[in-house]
Amino acid sequence: MTADIGNSAGVIINDLNLSFGETRVLKGVNLSIEAGEFFAFLGPSGSGKSTLLRAIAGFGPRPTGQILIDGEDIADQPPWKRNVGMVFQSYALWPHMTVHRNVAFGLEERGVPAPEIKRRVDAALDMVGLIDLAERRPSQLSGGQQQRIALARTVVVEPKVLLLDEPLSNLDANLRVQMRREIRDLQKELKLTTIFVTHDQEEANTTSDRMAVLDDGVIQQVGAPVELYDKPCNLFVANFLGTANVLQGTMSAGKDGSCVFQSENGVAINLGTQPHNEGAMVFRPQNVRISKTGTNCKAGNVQFQGTVGHMEFHGNIVRYGVDVSGHLILIDETHQRGSTLFDIGASVDLQVKQGQIMVVPGH
Amino acid sequence: MKASTLTAFSSVERGPAIAGLMIAFFLLLFLIVPVGQVIFVAFQDPNTGSFTLINFADFFGNSLFVESFFNSFYVASMSVIVASIIAMPLAYFTTRFNFSGALLIQTLGIIPLIMPPFVGAVAMQLLFGANGSINLLLEEHLGFTIPFMEGLNGVILVESVHYFPFILINLSAALNNIDRAMEESAQNLGAHGTRLFRRIVFPLAMPGYVAGAALVFIKVFDDLGTPLLLNINNMLAPQAYLRISSIGIADPMGYVISVILVGFSLLSLWISLLALKDKDYATVQKGGGGLMRRDLRTWEKVGCYGVVILILLLVLSPHIGLTLLSFGTVWSFAVIPDGFTFDHYTTVFDTASQYITNTLLYAGIAALLDVILATSIAYIVWRTKLVGRKWLDYGATAALAVPGVVLGIGYLRTYHSFDVPIINEPLASWWVIIVIAMTIRRLPYALRACIAAIQQVSVMLEEAAENLGATKGRTVWRIVVPLMSGGILAGFVTSFATASVELSATIMLVAKDSDAPLAFGIYEFMQSTSGRGPGAALGIIAVLFVGVGTYFSHVIIERSKKLREAKAIVAEGGTT
Amino acid sequence: MKRAHVLGAAAIVLSAASIPTYALSGKLTIVTSYPTDTTATFEKAFEKKYPGVDVEMLKKKTTAGIKYLQETSDNNQADMFWASAPDAFEVLKGDDLLVKYDVKVGGIPEKVGSFPINDPEGYYKGFAASGYGIMWNERYLKAKKLPPPMEWADLKKPIYHGHSGMSAPSRSGTTHLTVETVLQGMGWQDGWAEWKEIAGNFKTVTERSFGVPDGVNSGSFGAGIVIDFFGLSSQASGFPVGFNYPKVTTLVPANIAIVKNAPNAEAAAAFIEFILSTEGQELLLDPKIRRLPVNPATYAKAPKDFPNPFKDKTIGAAVKFDLALSKGRYNVINSLFDVMITYRLNELRGAVKAIQDAEAKLAGKTNADAAKLIAEARALVNEVPVTEAQASESDFNNIFKKKRKKATTKVTGRQAEIESEWDSMVVANYAKAKELADKAASML
Repeated sequence: MTADIGNSAGVIINDLNLSFGETRVLKGVNLSIEAGEFFAFLGPSGSGKSTLLRAIAGFGPRPTGQILIDGEDIADQPPWKRNVGMVFQSYALWPHMTVHRNVAFGLEERGVPAPEIKRRVDAALDMVGLIDLAERRPSQLSGGQQQRIALARTVVVEPKVLLLDEPLSNLDANLRVQMRREIRDLQKELKLTTIFVTHDQEEANTTSDRMAVLDDGVIQQVGAPVELYDKPCNLFVANFLGTANVLQGTMSAGKDGSCVFQSENGVAINLGTQPHNEGAMVFRPQNVRISKTGTNCKAGNVQFQGTVGHMEFHGNIVRYGVDVSGHLILIDETHQRGSTLFDIGASVDLQVKQGQIMVVPGH
Repeated sequence: MKASTLTAFSSVERGPAIAGLMIAFFLLLFLIVPVGQVIFVAFQDPNTGSFTLINFADFFGNSLFVESFFNSFYVASMSVIVASIIAMPLAYFTTRFNFSGALLIQTLGIIPLIMPPFVGAVAMQLLFGANGSINLLLEEHLGFTIPFMEGLNGVILVESVHYFPFILINLSAALNNIDRAMEESAQNLGAHGTRLFRRIVFPLAMPGYVAGAALVFIKVFDDLGTPLLLNINNMLAPQAYLRISSIGIADPMGYVISVILVGFSLLSLWISLLALKDKDYATVQKGGGGLMRRDLRTWEKVGCYGVVILILLLVLSPHIGLTLLSFGTVWSFAVIPDGFTFDHYTTVFDTASQYITNTLLYAGIAALLDVILATSIAYIVWRTKLVGRKWLDYGATAALAVPGVVLGIGYLRTYHSFDVPIINEPLASWWVIIVIAMTIRRLPYALRACIAAIQQVSVMLEEAAENLGATKGRTVWRIVVPLMSGGILAGFVTSFATASVELSATIMLVAKDSDAPLAFGIYEFMQSTSGRGPGAALGIIAVLFVGVGTYFSHVIIERSKKLREAKAIVAEGGTT
Repeated sequence: MKRAHVLGAAAIVLSAASIPTYALSGKLTIVTSYPTDTTATFEKAFEKKYPGVDVEMLKKKTTAGIKYLQETSDNNQADMFWASAPDAFEVLKGDDLLVKYDVKVGGIPEKVGSFPINDPEGYYKGFAASGYGIMWNERYLKAKKLPPPMEWADLKKPIYHGHSGMSAPSRSGTTHLTVETVLQGMGWQDGWAEWKEIAGNFKTVTERSFGVPDGVNSGSFGAGIVIDFFGLSSQASGFPVGFNYPKVTTLVPANIAIVKNAPNAEAAAAFIEFILSTEGQELLLDPKIRRLPVNPATYAKAPKDFPNPFKDKTIGAAVKFDLALSKGRYNVINSLFDVMITYRLNELRGAVKAIQDAEAKLAGKTNADAAKLIAEARALVNEVPVTEAQASESDFNNIFKKKRKKATTKVTGRQAEIESEWDSMVVANYAKAKELADKAASML
């Protein structure tokens, strides 16, 4: 059972607004998702990512704006007509039906003849590797198995778009990693446009082609994971995609066209070139080199002095929290066997390459 | 076996063991033995005393009894159906729509339960009878009448109006328990409307509904008071009562009927348990949240309210009718009474106050006994490791399967020749037997309340007390019982309220008018020409008892629930 | 000082004269089938007169009361039996459960109507008389445009189909007497035929005798066969009802007796004296009670329309009630009525209606075949599976007794078996009768 790009569709959302009663939940959402893309909606709870997904499926209050699938506006269509397959967070397998009946449901609703139903259901179950469980009841399956059946049930009807609402959040950590790879592989095989909702940036980063970060109903930034990580458009995105050191302060022009940044606590950073915008200084823990006091500052680096406040040994890295004039700077140092660890209270020098420092607007 | 015997008698468990034995003895004396007697006599040849099936053969060979059997079955089934018809639109409104009248519907659900069906029966007769208020109006203005109360219809109508809340609550709960995702996923895959209902919603709601329906079936099947007051005798329960009271306790037919009643009770209980045991449905549905709701358009709102108000009027009709009757002077072949007066209430308080005082005494003692027994059983079953403790639970709960009339017959048979020392009266005619009957009949409900309460108390709380030096007894008294107090109190109040309107067993056991409680008093009053008014007044008083009791019970439960939620001290769980 | 002594002595003597010779005390237990209206009134008055006595009323239907006294005879708790039907007292007398008593109060005549007021053997006393008749709801009859039924025969008329009601002899001592009265007045065959055709018009057979006045009072049905005080007291309570004695009726005393081995025989005796005294007899005129006193002098205090059997000799004269006959076939009558009428009311009604319809069609025409069919149908409906002679046989009656008093009492068969036979016969008869009547109607 394969679907080629001819069956899957691009999704375009134009100026979507949605309110629950008086509360605005989605505010002016514009989005364009390519056919065959694995796209993630990422955001904290309450950001509106699930609401947006469900709006595409046709659940919830009627939004204003357009939802185009393959160029056709479906915003007025009821859910059962949209042919977008959705896997629910709770899997929603019907307990009074066997696995087979569950998977066959959508085909029965479409009036597919019985022999073909059997063929397609078996193929779908085979694809997720659970053909032996066809006669079991959902209550007899494990969490991972239920999730696979939910997937099979959705893809068997060959929808244009696949919607996954936090499908991994009910699984334990190990299973999650395995399942996200399997989902990704399945999607690649079917070349099915997939939208995947999650609050976990690791999941979004590792699986998606592109993602949209949402906060409070507004899309903050859209792009590939690397792009969002390295070029966040605001502090929210910067913080959400991974741990960040953020220094607020003021910028002023320095001699010879350079730019000097002064943090609130008086820490000075020379940025070299003039940045494009105003904002906070942001750099990642892995960008910082930690060394004994009195190390030479390399050219093109910025240097701070501070005292070690805490030290956590994570195995693969050692994370230090260093007090630099009142700022807490986090440093992740890869751990090699035999390297010394700095004690709490030690005075240390920190160095960051100028190029690693991002200027990010926001507070 | 040896190890568990040692456990049974270790010093820690001696107290509970003794209590358990006493409770077992009580249950034996006043539940197992009498009911056993009844079953035994049914299979006994009245002349020779040997085992025989001839009584059953006589029963099924007599067309009156066979007719009674089918009638009881028919009435019970139809009551379930009519009750469901009343309940379904209401359940639909509250679970499918954002219906602002939801609170109204909830209240609707309580109103019938506070008036026992037999109390309202006479009033319903006056309102819906062949020449009752409604039919007189219909005949006058539209030229036809509807046989609401004709024969068995009357019983069905009264029972349905009384029991529909059971169905409503069960149906609403069943629908509300459905994970919304169940519906959405079906819609996502292309289903909607009636197909969706038929394939997904209905099968998922079925078990909850069946559990409720089975209980209603058996309550109607066993009801004695309503058919008696409506003068319907060709049903099983009234036949048993009539045989025993006019022909005597030696008549085998009464016992045969009792066996049939008990048999069906057990069957219904079993079906109800089966339906609820299907926990598969519960564990797989994680979300709950109920079905998808939508808002109502204006004309739909009008329609909904219209239906709700119609049902409200139907449900309130016994209350309205009874109030009119209690204040009415003469009500004969007229839509409403000729005039109104307070006389009936004064009559009641002047001449019939003993019914009220007796009821307060009996129901009070019965409720107290119930919570003591229930708390003890709950503790023994859930906190000790005594051998055979589960049987205490089963034994107490078995009372659910024994209709009141059967218990009454059993007591009469077993204790009519047993004289109570000092009093020198047969136990079967001493007022205390009425209290015992009330206690046994209400025990299962009190037990359920206490078990729920004790499961909320984490074992660790007891262990902490013991760790700090308190004995088992002190712990129970100072820690467990106070923490259970909400459930115990609620159980007490419910027991009291429902015991105060018990009729089926009472009517068989009351020997003297001065010993009679409320329900019997109402029955007596309704038997005289000038007694309808005071009987109705007494009925209103009974309804107030139950209503106030239910209200307090509700308040207590809500309050203790809030306290628990607010504190949330202990880790989850709490069962051994 | 001397005068004070005399006055003091006189005071003591005077006060001693005003109290009864011994102060009555203790509990007085009365098994009675009377409703609360009656019992409460007498209880209150008696306890006022004798404050030391606590009267306890054990309410039981007549048949249940008899059973109760029979079953508790070894350890008797009851002092008195107080009920309407004299045949019930005969049953108890026969079972040796009553004691003789000589009444001291005077003014009570020998007979009322053609019936002796007291048991000639002295075991039970009449305290009030009752007749049987028909009560009706004026509003109901007016609405349905029906005339009030005055005679038993009126109740057979097709116009009353579905509008009347009665209780059953097995459930009500007074109803039993009513049925016996008509059987004795019209003969076994004709009597049963009368009852069947009257019953064919019934809306219902009520569970207790009270169900009839209740039904008429509330307008459930239009006419009911009742004991007189039900009709009279309903009227007095303000219900829009009327009452009449048909010609074929009998005045039968309601009775009271002292039970053998009564715990408080003195109080029991005082109670009998009380209800036969002027004071007691006047209580019977209370609107809630309305029974005919046995003391003719009391009628002077009665309201205007109150029936007076001592003045109006027509009431109750038609039938001389034979108590022995009634007693001899007590249980058989109960069972016969139930099997033929009560439990098969629908079938009976159907057959009788078919006959009535056929006769209505026949009216004014001559059609010998149809007439013959109708007559046959009638005969089938009226057939009784037991002859009068057989009904009085003691062995036969014993089958219908539940408790065998003596080992020598022969029982020829089982009650359930025989009733089942009757039931089959009756069902077949009614069905055939309906068939024939329908056939006759189709011919016209």
